Formats: sequence, C-alpha cells, structure tokens
Amino acid sequence: MLRLDYQYNMQLSFAKPVNRHHFTLRCFPADNERQKITYQDINITPSYVGGEETDSFGNHCIYGLIEGEHTDFNVNVSGKAYVYGDVFLPVEPSHRIGMFRYHTGLTDMGPSLYEIYEKLPYKDDIRNDVQKVALQWMNIIYDSIKYVQGITQINTSAEEAAALSMGVCQDYAHIFLALLRHEHIPCRYVVGMMMGEGASHAWIEVSDGEKWIALDPTNNCPVDDRYINISHGRDAKDCTINQGFFYGLPEQLQEIHVVVEESSND
Amino acid sequence: MNKEGMNSYSDTVNELLARYGVRFGIYKNGTFKEQLFPLDIIPRKIGQKEVEYLEKGLKQRVMALNEFIKDIYGEKKIIRNNVIPEEFVYMGSGYLAQCEGVCPAKEIYTHISGIDLVQAKDGQWFVLEDNLRIPSGASYPMIARDICRKSSPAIFEKNAIYENRNYAKMLRKAMDHVNVGGHTVILTPGRYNAAYFEHSYLAEHTGAHLVTGNELVVENDHLYFVDYSGRKEKVGAVYRRISDEYLDPMNFNSESVIGIPHIYDIYRKGNVSLMNAPGNGVADDKGIYYFVPEMISYYLDEEPILHNAPTYLPFYEKDMKYVIENFDDLVLKDVAEAGGYGVVFGQGMTKDEKERFISMLKKEPRRFIAQEVIDFRDIDIFEDGEKVPRKADLRAFVLMAEEPMVWKSGLTRFSRNPDSFIVNSSQGGGFKDTWVLENDLSPTIL
Amino acid sequence: MAILSVEHSDQLYWLGRYSERVYTTIKEFAKRFDSMIELREHDYDEYCKAQDIPNIYSSKDDFIKRYCFDESDPNSIHANLIRAYDNAVVLREEIGSETLAYIQLAIYAMNKAKSSDAPLIQLQRVVDNIVAFWGMADDSIDSESVRSLIKLGKRVERIDLYARMNMGHSELKRELKRLNTRIGRTGLRYSSVKLAHLNYLAEMENTPKDMIIEEIESLFDEDINTLDGK
Repeated sequence: MLRLDYQYNMQLSFAKPVNRHHFTLRCFPADNERQKITYQDINITPSYVGGEETDSFGNHCIYGLIEGEHTDFNVNVSGKAYVYGDVFLPVEPSHRIGMFRYHTGLTDMGPSLYEIYEKLPYKDDIRNDVQKVALQWMNIIYDSIKYVQGITQINTSAEEAAALSMGVCQDYAHIFLALLRHEHIPCRYVVGMMMGEGASHAWIEVSDGEKWIALDPTNNCPVDDRYINISHGRDAKDCTINQGFFYGLPEQLQEIHVVVEESSND
Repeated sequence: MNKEGMNSYSDTVNELLARYGVRFGIYKNGTFKEQLFPLDIIPRKIGQKEVEYLEKGLKQRVMALNEFIKDIYGEKKIIRNNVIPEEFVYMGSGYLAQCEGVCPAKEIYTHISGIDLVQAKDGQWFVLEDNLRIPSGASYPMIARDICRKSSPAIFEKNAIYENRNYAKMLRKAMDHVNVGGHTVILTPGRYNAAYFEHSYLAEHTGAHLVTGNELVVENDHLYFVDYSGRKEKVGAVYRRISDEYLDPMNFNSESVIGIPHIYDIYRKGNVSLMNAPGNGVADDKGIYYFVPEMISYYLDEEPILHNAPTYLPFYEKDMKYVIENFDDLVLKDVAEAGGYGVVFGQGMTKDEKERFISMLKKEPRRFIAQEVIDFRDIDIFEDGEKVPRKADLRAFVLMAEEPMVWKSGLTRFSRNPDSFIVNSSQGGGFKDTWVLENDLSPTIL
Repeated sequence: MAILSVEHSDQLYWLGRYSERVYTTIKEFAKRFDSMIELREHDYDEYCKAQDIPNIYSSKDDFIKRYCFDESDPNSIHANLIRAYDNAVVLREEIGSETLAYIQLAIYAMNKAKSSDAPLIQLQRVVDNIVAFWGMADDSIDSESVRSLIKLGKRVERIDLYARMNMGHSELKRELKRLNTRIGRTGLRYSSVKLAHLNYLAEMENTPKDMIIEEIESLFDEDINTLDGK
C-alpha cells in the first residue's frame, strides 16, 4: 500500500477567443476496491454552469457550459489516495461484461496485428491462466513496439500503430486489447496516473473471470500501488479526458501535467 | 369507377399532393433533390378480421422488442440464458455502450415502431423488418387520406373505413405519456433531410414545435427552447428525427453539428424524454431479427403470432451450408444497411459474383442474413390508364403509450418496376393509402 | 404555443420581405415590359439603376428572360421567389400547410411562366398566389407575433423598394404609417431613434432616397438583419 499525493493539471489555450464552450471532463479518481481517495480538490476555470454524473462505465464526470468568450480553459485536480497494489477490481458475471469481449473500431484486427498475433505463445492456455499468459503476451507487445511520442494521435487505431511499430501508452494498450479480444478474452482500457511527473497514463485490465488483472504494456509490468485509476472503458474513446465543443475554430494547444508522489506529511 | 373517372381522380389527387409539397428528399451524385412521392389511387384494403390478427401480432412483437432492449441495457438475462449469442448484440451497429444502465421514462424504448410486412400469395403475412430507430412514412397516408376524401367523398360515404388521420393524436398521446414536464418538440436535422416534409407535417398536426439542434440548449441539467425574445422554455419530450450518433456531440459522434451538447447527460438523469430511446437500434439489427420469435417466447411466454420470413444465419454452420446450397433461391441482406441498400438476390448474380460473395460470406458470416424470396401477393396499381399488378409491402406503425397502439392504416409502398421486389421510396417507388375496413365485405368502389 | 425561436422569427421576417419583393418587382416589371414591347428598347437599363442591381443584360430579350426566370441570377424574380420558399418551407407548423401551399403554387406558376410565350400572363398567377398567401396568412394564423413578423418584413421591404424606385412621398408616407402601427406588435427590438428619423425623412419634399434605405435597413438589432442578407 502506498499513500500518494496527486496533481492533475490540464491547460487548454486557444489562439483566438471561443464561446459557447461545452465540455465533459473525465479526470477524477474515485474510490474503489484498490484505491481510497481521502481528499480531492477540483478547480475549473473560467466559471461554468453544469453538473456531475457517473457514465455508463461508472466513471465520474463533470460537464458544463462556458457561455462567454475565453482563451483559456484550466482544470486542476489535486488529492490524496491510498492505493492497494495487491488488490484487483472484481469482475461482474460473464454475461454482463460482453461489451469488453468485442473489438471496437480502434481495436479491429489487421495484417500488422496478425503478425504480432502469430508470435504469441500459449494461446490454448489463455483461458486457463489468463494472468500468466497475458504477462507473456505483454512481453511480446513490449518488444514489438517502440515508444515514440508525436507519431500517433488520439484516433490512431491499434492496427495503424502496429503497422508503424511505434506509439505511446494508448497504442500499447489498444494493441494489447486487440490481441486479447481476438481470443474473446474480456479486457478494458484504463486511464490513470502513475508515480512520477509527466502526462496521464493508460494501461489495460483483463478479466480472469473473477478479477480485473491490471497490466501496463508500455512499461511491461503489472500495475501496482504506484498507479491511480481515473476511468475505464472499451477503448480510449470511452475514456476521453476532455471532450469539448465550442464556437470558433482557432488553433488550440493542450498541455497536461501530472505529478504523483508519495505523501510526506503525517 | 370507370377508367376515365380513375384517370381524372388520379390527376386531381396527385395535383393536390403537389400543392401541399408532399415529397421526400434523395441524394443523387452527392446533391440533394426533392421528388414528389407519387400516390397510387387504388388503396390497399385490409379487412377487419385480418387487422385483428395483425394488431395482436404487432403488439406482441413490439412488447417483446421493448423488453429485449430493456434487458440488454440492464440485466442481460437473455444472454445469460443463451437464447441470443452475445456477438449479435455487441457487434451490431445499434448497440451503444453509453446506454448501459440507462432506463428511459416509463421503461419505453420503442415509442414509434415501423414494422415492415408482406403478404404471400396464400394470404399469410410475414414480417420482413423491424424499424425501431426513426421509422418514417406515417405522414404520407395521412395527407393522402385527407386529399382523397376531398377529391372523392362518395367513396368514403359508401365504404366503412377507419379514420387514419388520428395518427397525430396517437403520436401526441405517446409524447405526452413520457413527457417529464415542459414543451414537446420534434427535432429535425433540417430541411435537407429526406423526411423533412414529414417532420414539419407531424409538427403541424401534433402541435409540437419543429426545432433544429441550435434552437435547444442544455442548462442546469434541463433542456430549454430559446424564444426569440430570449425567454427560456423548458422542454420535457423530444421526438427526435436524427439518429443516435448525431444526437449529442459530447456523448456520441463528436463531429456532429446538428445535435445538442449534453442532451444525453440530462436524459440519463431523467430530465427529458427522448423518443425513440437512444440505443434501441440494438433490436432492429437484421441479425437480431432472426431471434425475435424466440424473444417473444422468452419474455412473454407466448407463441409468436406473426411469422418472420424464413431466415438463415450463416453464423450457424448448418445455416451456412443451406445458404451455399440454395444460394439462387435466397435474398441476402447486409445487416448494417437499410432503405433497400445492401440487398442482393442470389438469382441475379453471375457465377463470378456468386463466388466472390460466398467467400465474403465465409469471411464475415455475421454480416449477412439470407431469406427465402417470398412470393408476394401482387397488388394492382393504376398506371397509364391500366390496372397492373406490382409488388408491395406494408409498414405498420405501433405507438407506445400506456398500452401499445396499432395505427389502423399504414404505409403501403410498391415497386414501379414489375420485376422488382424492392419497394423503398429511396429506390423510386410510390405509395398507396391503406384502408382498414370496418367489416369484411369487399368495398364497393375501386 | 406562442413561443418562437430566433431562427423562426428571422425566417418569418424574411418570408415577408421576399414575398413582397416578388410581388412589387413583378408589378414594376409588368409596367416596363409594356413600354419595352415596341417603344423603348433600353428601358431596362433605367430599371436596373432604380433597383440598384447590376445591368448584366445584353438585350431586351435577355433582360426579360434572365431578370424574370434565371434562378442563378441572384437579382432575378425567380431567385427571390425561391428565397421566399426557402424561408416558408421551414415554417410549416407556424403558418400551416394551407398557407404554405400558396408559396408552393407560386413556384409552380413561376416554372410555367418560364416556358411560356406570354410570360406576363403566367407571372400574374405568381402574383395571385402571393396575394392568396398573404390573405391566407392573415386569415388562418392564430399567433399575432407570427402574423406580425411576416407583415413587418413586407412593410420594410416595400419601403425599401419604394425608396429605390422613387415612388413619391405620399406612397412612402402611407407605407411608413403602416410600419409604425405594425412594428410594436412583433416583440422585436428596434431603434426608435431610427424610426423617428424615417418618419421625419418621409415628410421632406425631395425624399432623400439613400438615407431612407440606410435607415430602414438598419432599423433592427443585428440579430434580425444578419440572416440571408438581401
């Protein structure tokens, strides 16, 4: 178990003012079996009218409308969490998690994914020991893809990233999901924060029938108490951190800065 | 009526249709065109006994479909009990994960259903398709009836025919039943939509406001219509004629400019009703259609009254074998397409095409269903002064309020081409009024 | 039922304006046509000047054909009728199918006139339908704001056209009087300073055409004047 302090900061700046800006934010860690949020402070500017909700996957969202003209949109979330590295989230009965067994557009198979698929060992065993086999598969994926920023984008599919053999955490996760789903193993995409300083992170969870086993293919390791969950869904699209819709078409620049460190005080 | 009488009646009626701008839009080579939707003056006639049978069957079918949607986005019993393979649910284009756990007002998902039926030569009816997303077409028989009664009152004096212009009243009842407080609006993508005439006609006759997305706004968890003086009026029910993916750029297709940001969020909270309910397309997938009779037994514990056309799912090995062996006798439908698109007849294919199609079928068995070609009962149409037989179908409308209501009329569409089985208006057909007779005697005129 | 969106209020106003433009320009055209038949071959030149539209026409026949019937000429009567239709067709539930039908019929009449040897006879049918449209609107629309917005558009357009055509100040004064009584019933915001100025201008012997046009075209908030332009 670790006690973590986290800060999530998103700054969106527009080259020219925009107005009637609608947003939905999905960047708020919530309590679950593996993490307890003991304190959380949320600061969103400029001021807005809106509300809160839990989406169909159980993720916490804040949404709203900023009516007037503005050139900046800032979101600051800071808090404290207890994270239990050896606890996994429980899985609902099989007939209720079917949506995680099938490809979405971003995880559809293609020739480059099949090439990786051919290299995967223990396919016949995966149903008997998901945890062990998935770790093996993660090794292969890790070796097949080079971590390079700025090549892939938010809507790059698993197949496209596999064809490039390059990508970032989102692409590693999508490729992993694609291969697991090809074997009809329920698995989901997770967005969260990881100890250290940088951007938000993404990894996957795969079901062994009882629990969601969390694996981080970008770092080729199981997820432990250094990771804080924010949201999960079928793919990155279900977990969009900031969905926006506004009037005006200026250039925009989004900067995300995340700091997670061990709590020092008391 | 003699031939001359029919000729002049037909001219008068179609002139009046033109006067009221009865048309539907189509896209040809990328540009929008509006065509008049020709009315054939010989109505389709359905007797009282037949209608009682259809009514029972349609209510039963729509009730089961509604239960199915509720189950899929809720408990998923039908999957747990292996009645329907889950891939038909989750791989279908109509399933929306965003709808998981969302229950609309009064548990109604299918406020307006358009069930397409055909009648075989032996008189038996078959359901061809369930249209649950945004079925259109009810306005055409309404206005046709209005015009025909004006042009030839004698016909209606001598035949006991159920009124069909009450559709607007039925629709209003369905709207009011789920309205959570506030105005009722009809949401249209705009005048370049194929069914714009219908949107505006139904607005006029139900007294609902016709709006486009930018006339509505979500504020403080409620939906408002903004008046030209700046006043905000609460909206309690939206009969939306735009598809799920364009409804809300914040929750579905983020590129949509015809939707209303956050409308889905407040719908989830129960602060506005959307009709039909988002995600209900999970039940009108052509693959799911195969399972509707089983759904009826499963949810209602009743024998299905209406029959499906004999259908095969290449997904099942046994059916795949049958389809390949009997390819020439079957019609194949792409489950993702609608409006008469993606329909091919085995018989019309060259050897080459056939081979290519079968290999595609083997690669993507879930993508197609195969059906026996039903020998439709022909219906006479009046063309160039002669009565000639043509293929026709019937779209029956079922509306849901306290109880399901079956409209005692329907949209009969026919094919202009004597050899064609495809009757969709987007494929160049025409339509007929559908008379439901108050008794089983043959009508005296026409 | 008496709630109306900004879009629909705009469309009602412009429906009024374009229907008026078609009506008055056909009447004016008919006058010119008469004198052009054998007398003044180049009368259309003056007409274009008065209407403030570019004279892009090569001959009398070209003028008659294109000014009346060329949909792609933005200044043609046909183009203006289509604009009236474009506004009307989205207002079915405000104005009713019966009222809308007359704009539809005007379109059919215009198409017939186009292929006719005696266009004036057929253009009269267009005028008949426009007049029937106004009568039906007046008779069958319950909502006063809906009726008034159409009429307001009609008045504004007429003042604009009369000023352009140097109609003379008694006609202008009459139209302004009607505008004054109508404008308050629509609920639209307008500049009372500009309206007073217009009233003053109309009293002058030599009505200053340009000033009247400028004031009438900027009488309302930018809201109502931005849509569709002229």
